[in-house]
Amino acid sequence: MRKLLKCEYLKTNRRHIILTALFVTLIACVWAFYDSNKAEDAAEFMLQNGWHVILYQFPLINSIFFPLLSVIIASRLCDLEHKGSCLKLICTLTPRGRLYDAKLLYGMFITQSCVILFWAATIVYGMLCGFRESFPITLYLLYLLFTLVPTAAVYCFQHALSMNFKNPAVPFFTGILGEFVGLFAMFLPQYPLLRRVVIWAYYGTLQFMGLYGYTKETRYTYTYLEHMGYDWAAFGILIALTIGIYLIGKTIFCRKEL
Amino acid sequence: MILKLIKTETKKLKRTPIWLAFGFMPIIPALLGTLNYLGNIEILESEWYSLWTQHTLFTDYFFLPIMVGIYCSYIMRLEENCHNWNKLLSMPISKHKIFIAKLACVGLMILLSEIWIGLLFILSGKLIGMNAPLPLRELIIWCLFGTLGGIVMASLQLTISLFIRSFALPVAIALCGGLSGLVFLAKDMGHIWPYSLMAYGMNSNSPQELNETGYVPFVITCILYIAVFTLLGSNILNRKDM
Repeated sequence: MRKLLKCEYLKTNRRHIILTALFVTLIACVWAFYDSNKAEDAAEFMLQNGWHVILYQFPLINSIFFPLLSVIIASRLCDLEHKGSCLKLICTLTPRGRLYDAKLLYGMFITQSCVILFWAATIVYGMLCGFRESFPITLYLLYLLFTLVPTAAVYCFQHALSMNFKNPAVPFFTGILGEFVGLFAMFLPQYPLLRRVVIWAYYGTLQFMGLYGYTKETRYTYTYLEHMGYDWAAFGILIALTIGIYLIGKTIFCRKEL
Repeated sequence: MILKLIKTETKKLKRTPIWLAFGFMPIIPALLGTLNYLGNIEILESEWYSLWTQHTLFTDYFFLPIMVGIYCSYIMRLEENCHNWNKLLSMPISKHKIFIAKLACVGLMILLSEIWIGLLFILSGKLIGMNAPLPLRELIIWCLFGTLGGIVMASLQLTISLFIRSFALPVAIALCGGLSGLVFLAKDMGHIWPYSLMAYGMNSNSPQELNETGYVPFVITCILYIAVFTLLGSNILNRKDM
């Protein structure tokens, strides 16, 4: 497996894949940390509750950028082989399943590193802002876990599509459609089934911080943030879905004609 | 000649997954936007206009730019595969006509997408029993100007796809462009930035109001951008080793 991973690195060398991933993460950072709300009461609320506000707001940003990052990385890694018709050659040198796993691990490493980088950047941003409350480390570790696992699920799905379809438009469109449904599902809590069936929606499903009491008239006067509890059942379903997607994708790839 | 080239381009797209995406993609914002509208009906009081904002909320800033990016990347990839550029560029056709044909083909797809978005908007409104009269004139303007803004984005994306021979990277650039478009719109500069012209034309932020600068400057800006990017793209086709 080590050799295969090294091969993956060599194949992607000078193709700017890591640079692309960093670029998308940078855009996510700019988007997330750009403070558009200049109102005094909003700034004061942010200073008082900043760490918790981030936990409430950032799952939305994660659900936009990390699925897209997964689509791009999976597509670029698999397109290398499809474009050069290399799969026939490689699969005579190594078992198909191992190639599938190596590519998955390599791509997953890139995407998960970006998730961790964004998480670390969020903490640095919070410290620079000087939020008055103490840093809730346990909540942030759980937030990291609840971002890493949905990203891994989405990456597994995209990898399965990119490996099995020569045409890169198919995984792209599926990924974008899924991302769209996932994003909207965050605004439709009245449809819990939608939030549990669609893997892209899990960024919102696993969100555990809620904001209450905000109205146009009173604004932040009665606004407060409250812990909504952890949805461990949804977490379990997501892990089961990820394993299922991995197994189905790998089986189809191992059986298909190259 | 141009018409023949456009016909050839559309032939290349026959039975590609692009059409599936074109069919399915607008259904999701229509369905979920309508559900969101029904869920917040006490806040959203402007009936058809509020429904339009819900339908186009994320579509204009995230998904249509990505869709245009994918359309353009796909159309260029068809030529990159099997050294098709060599065959195409050795034909006795001027390079700018090839670029215009490709742009017209993407433009047609954007127009069809806009019509489909409009039809779904009317259907959703009728299904949930809207009482107010349908703002048909505004809807036609939103869709047509959205198409024009989309063609600007497409001309830029085609040029980028000529520079970057990758499927994924230009799509990532399209997403960043869409996001930058949102920033430019927020700063009241939506009418000058190529990536915000589609959202600006579709009036997704404030559909009740007509654009402050008026539509004539908008159309002129779009035509200028299209001309500049087409010239740039044709020049790249002329000079770059494909």
